[in-house]
Amino acid sequence: MMITRAVGLGVAVRRSALNPQAARALVFRNATPKRFIQIQSLSPSAEQQILNSQRLKRPSSPHFTIYQPQLTWIGSIANRVTGVGLSVLLYGYALAYLVAPGTFDSTHVIEFVAGLPDAVKYAGKAILAAPFAFHSWNGLRHLSWDMGKFLTLKGAYQSGYAVLGLTAATTVGLLMM
Amino acid sequence: MSLALAARSATNQRIAATFARRALAPRFARGAADTAYVPGGPVYKGTVNDPTTFPPPNKTHGSYHWAFERLLSAGLVPLTVAAFATSGSNYAMLDGILGVSLVMHSHIGFDALLVDYLHPRKFPLLGPVLTWTLRATTVGVLVGVYQFNTQDIGLTELIAKVWHA
Repeated sequence: MMITRAVGLGVAVRRSALNPQAARALVFRNATPKRFIQIQSLSPSAEQQILNSQRLKRPSSPHFTIYQPQLTWIGSIANRVTGVGLSVLLYGYALAYLVAPGTFDSTHVIEFVAGLPDAVKYAGKAILAAPFAFHSWNGLRHLSWDMGKFLTLKGAYQSGYAVLGLTAATTVGLLMM
Repeated sequence: MSLALAARSATNQRIAATFARRALAPRFARGAADTAYVPGGPVYKGTVNDPTTFPPPNKTHGSYHWAFERLLSAGLVPLTVAAFATSGSNYAMLDGILGVSLVMHSHIGFDALLVDYLHPRKFPLLGPVLTWTLRATTVGVLVGVYQFNTQDIGLTELIAKVWHA
């Protein structure tokens, strides 16, 4: 009873109970659809293709874009990004020297760098020193985790702030060298 | 009344129990391994419900790789300090060891990128292709580093000179 009322069929049920002929017409009207749908049978692989193309278009809720920035995961991805950046530089230079030793040998590189304005030189040194310093200190933090140290939340945050401080100090030190 | 008593007598119950047990026991002769009977229904292999396979465990790809990676990373610290403290041209061997260790460290890092973001399980073509491309690139880089260290001034010397250029 409650279900019929909630679904909205209360009036119809009452009317069909009082008037049996109207019930028959109601039943038929609900049974036969007003519109006729064309059904086309497909092979299972074609069905799977339609399903997959629908799945590709479906949206997903934000997850990566809304995660609150925290020292833990920002530090982790920064370690990876700095490592990749420095390695790309190393690989790029080694391959360039292999391919064209005349253009990329040390004399040319030193000449090129010497000819740059001072501001660009300092900026370039900062861009090289900061990732190197961060990656090195954070690498030591990773190794201490592997030895079982700083594995609490407090430990991770304390070591993380220490790494940031050391990175800043080391970068300034390297710039002044 | 007495019939029910006879049915529920101890000997009759024992006989019935053995028959029931035999009827419910899995028939090994009948079913193959992939349609073995388990409570809840037979298990069919070869559908989308198959569990993922794992490669056979191998210490070279497991604990030895892990230990090697950590030892290499730890070793880079004294190596870098020593190489820049002494000056590359005087200790060419140290420069060479630093160069090779750096390249190995970078290779392990790049490999970790591929395993994390382009695993062959999800990228059956791109994953292996890039893995082998990385290996070939690393070989090329090692050759380049060797050439640079032997025919030119060496990595530590270059960095020191560029820093003070």
